[in-house]
Amino acid sequence: MATNIEIEPGAALESALVTTESYENFQEMSSSLEEIKNSNFIPSTTDEYLDNCNNLDNDIHLNCSITSTNSKDEEYLQDEEWLSKSKHVFVLSSAGKPIYSRYGNEDRFASYFGIMQALVSFVQADDDSIRSIHAGDTKFVFLFKEPLILVAVSKTEECTLQLTAQLNYVFNQIASTLTLSRLVKIYEQRRNYDLRRLLTGVDRFIDNLLDFSENEPAFTLSAVQCLPLTSSIRDAISAAIIQSCSKIKNVVFGILLAKNQLITLVRMKKYYIHPHDLHLIFNLVQASESFKTVESCWAPICLPRFDSSGFLYGHVSYLAEDCQACLILLTVEGDAFSSLSEAKQRIVERLRRGSCLEAINESLASREESCMEVGFPELRHYIYKSKSTAQFYQPHISAPYSINSRRLVNIYKQAHYKLHCPTRPLKLLFERTPQDAILAWDTRGFELYAVLEPLIETSSAISTVGRLLNWIKKREDKLFHLNAPTF
Amino acid sequence: MTTKSEIELKSFFIFNSSYDSKEGEEYNKVLYYYPSTDDINTQVNNVGLVEAIIKFTGNFKPSGPLNSLHTQKKRQLYYEPEPNYWMVITINLPYINKTKNDSTVVEYIEEDVHDTVYRAILKQAYCMYRLFSGTYSSTEQQHSITTLRSKLEHFFSAYLKTLNLTNCDILNVFAGIHFLPLDKQNFLNVQCFINALECNYPIIEYVSFLFNDSLIWSGIEPDDTQIIYQYLIGTLLPANIETELQGGSIPRNPSSPFASLHYGRFITGPLNLKTTNTIGKVPKIFLNNEANPAVYYFIVYRALNATICLFVNGDVDLTVDLFKELDEFMGSRLSSIASDIAEYCTRNIIPPSNSDTSPRFIYFNKLNLAYKSTVHLDNRQSGNVACNKELVQIMADMNSRKDLLSYAGETIVKTMNDYWVVGKVSNLREFYVALQHKNASLIDISGLLGKVFGDSLIMWEVYDLLAVLECANGIRPQNCINVAQDEVKKICDTELKGIFFHPM
Repeated sequence: MATNIEIEPGAALESALVTTESYENFQEMSSSLEEIKNSNFIPSTTDEYLDNCNNLDNDIHLNCSITSTNSKDEEYLQDEEWLSKSKHVFVLSSAGKPIYSRYGNEDRFASYFGIMQALVSFVQADDDSIRSIHAGDTKFVFLFKEPLILVAVSKTEECTLQLTAQLNYVFNQIASTLTLSRLVKIYEQRRNYDLRRLLTGVDRFIDNLLDFSENEPAFTLSAVQCLPLTSSIRDAISAAIIQSCSKIKNVVFGILLAKNQLITLVRMKKYYIHPHDLHLIFNLVQASESFKTVESCWAPICLPRFDSSGFLYGHVSYLAEDCQACLILLTVEGDAFSSLSEAKQRIVERLRRGSCLEAINESLASREESCMEVGFPELRHYIYKSKSTAQFYQPHISAPYSINSRRLVNIYKQAHYKLHCPTRPLKLLFERTPQDAILAWDTRGFELYAVLEPLIETSSAISTVGRLLNWIKKREDKLFHLNAPTF
Repeated sequence: MTTKSEIELKSFFIFNSSYDSKEGEEYNKVLYYYPSTDDINTQVNNVGLVEAIIKFTGNFKPSGPLNSLHTQKKRQLYYEPEPNYWMVITINLPYINKTKNDSTVVEYIEEDVHDTVYRAILKQAYCMYRLFSGTYSSTEQQHSITTLRSKLEHFFSAYLKTLNLTNCDILNVFAGIHFLPLDKQNFLNVQCFINALECNYPIIEYVSFLFNDSLIWSGIEPDDTQIIYQYLIGTLLPANIETELQGGSIPRNPSSPFASLHYGRFITGPLNLKTTNTIGKVPKIFLNNEANPAVYYFIVYRALNATICLFVNGDVDLTVDLFKELDEFMGSRLSSIASDIAEYCTRNIIPPSNSDTSPRFIYFNKLNLAYKSTVHLDNRQSGNVACNKELVQIMADMNSRKDLLSYAGETIVKTMNDYWVVGKVSNLREFYVALQHKNASLIDISGLLGKVFGDSLIMWEVYDLLAVLECANGIRPQNCINVAQDEVKKICDTELKGIFFHPM
């Protein structure tokens, strides 16, 4: 399969994102905060934390009825609608206390949580750990990360590793609101602690995260998609952020995003953000209605892959009434709210002067071209991931997937798993079913997943892919964020 | 990379979840447990875990039965052959010791153990038991739980010793049968012989006919044929060939040079007809277990490379005279049929080329259970394979995911070592090819595939048809034979123009 492209499209020498294999060890976390933090940094107390939480999202509150009876337990087990959900997710403490259930009120089937905890601890007693149970079309996937047990009951076609990765995201979401160190400490002190007291409102983030990770290829690929912008505009935006924050100490990351796409990411020298952490930020923005109504928010965020032991402080705001891009400025300073608010004003002014806001709006309003429109009639859809920058690009979803995009996501998930199966990875996969054909190709610099017409000739599949790579190369400046600007 | 440990059997147990047991008497549920070195507590705990899993997963109404439990170090497979009777096998995953920063990390390789393969092992264990002892529930009803326990103990303690878990692979999933393609004349000779046998001895209800490791004819139901075939190829015949090699098979009547040669002898039944006055050991087996279970004597007779299995109604009394008569009837006829077939085979069947780069394939047709493999160099599951083991694993990967391909599909993959593996599924047939061409491109591969499929698949399809017709025969032996023969003849004459009888 020879192509005459010298550098893979979308490749860059330096990336703002940590590049990663998707099924890597989930445990790996770094601790970068200590290095940045000044010695006078005072960790917030529980009360402060709770206040912050309420500020962040005071429009939702979970009503938990603590009283539960066994007869109510049974109700769910009889409830066809509850049982027919394609994926249940449960979170419980290692002592078996219910913390979260994706559907239904977790107090009403407390006995389930007891069984799950018993299964985990029984297998653990044998110096082993439970991974999954398979029965018919249903997979029961367990992730035991001290001090929490996470369980997915799934009837989807996702493989065990992908489900485990989703559970890991849920764990990270919880860690992101509490920090991992605090989470561990709480349970060291009181094994029977009801964590829900500290997680008021977090349910909604987890719900959203699960929907998000089921539907977005970003999670499967461990990468992010960029909003297409000409490189001069993108550079101007980055420059505006850098200049406006230059006077402020310890701003670690400046992130501008819109519609789940990255516009730019400015980082402190030497520090990188992991795509998993970035996904949590995307999720935070997507799930919080309150950010849109309030002019700006001040939220403590723990990025577990960046540093699981402490908080960063996020100044979160939408650029302007007439531009729905969201700016997140992350700092280690707990009292930088006002200076960051000023910085934000300066950024908006600069962007307005440089007519960047119009450019962003224009890109947001325009629809991505479909494959057909740019001259690939036999190509239905594709995803191109540049490995060195952990970014990907996909065109507009057109027929036959516009109605059932879940099917397309499933094709990608399966192809991705086959290509990256831990013991038997593959270089190339070409698969034909009566419905579609997929060509998945993993090289050193990029991964390409192309969904084609099912009756395509192999030779024309290959020439299509060759032309496609050239097409992407020509547009790489626009489709990818190739510079990695720093403060 | 350091060496890999092997897959090991950790435990194997059978229990009945419906036996009610009071607190402290849970061990009453256990019907069989291996290893017996595990104390009662461990046994009860392990059964308890399985019961908890059955209950927990059942709540979510999965579409199919409980299949497996994956843990970091082990794999446990479940099979419920009869209501409430559960068979469980636990396997230690293979692992490698990796040295990382001066410390050794043990890495367990989950993907090397396919659920499909080891569940098939469990299923085969059950079918083999049922063949010789009938169903669990019938034993329990007709006798007692104690009888069932001792039967299980008797059977499985020996059976588990013969399990070779390391070399299990995709062929276990298929549990296929190797058919021998024959020309008209030889096939009709076999047919005539079987018909004559059935007409003359009405107590013989069914007959199966094998040549070497290949089946030519079977009158019993396909699923019974499948397990009988496994038993013959896996256990009975290999043991017997060893005795033959020690000088067992010599012409019985060399005194008369004019009589046709007679090489026949009983493998089950009296060993030496001239001296014996007992009928020896004739196993009784249970056939038609799904629909209408019945007991049959299982008499195996062999001459040269041909093996004939006679299924005789289990109610009659067998006598030495009957065996003598059968021997007289079958001996020389079978010997001459066998030598004709042998001659045909040496003339027409060329063994697969053994060069390293030639494509290796595995074919399986679910309709008639026929399989053919050029990946495996023998039928004995010795792990003797002609291509990289990783490629066979990839075939099993493809097989375990074939449901997602729907009724027809094709997968072509290139491995990290630049080998290619192709899987094709269509109309319940599966075809896997390993191509060891380095530096080939996808276009080369699909071109080559066209050739491989063109060459062999047309032939296979017709071969299938023949076997389907044979199966149809098996169900109603009397009236189908002529129709089938005509069909086959027509196809052979018109469609194939000789291609069917080309070398395999």
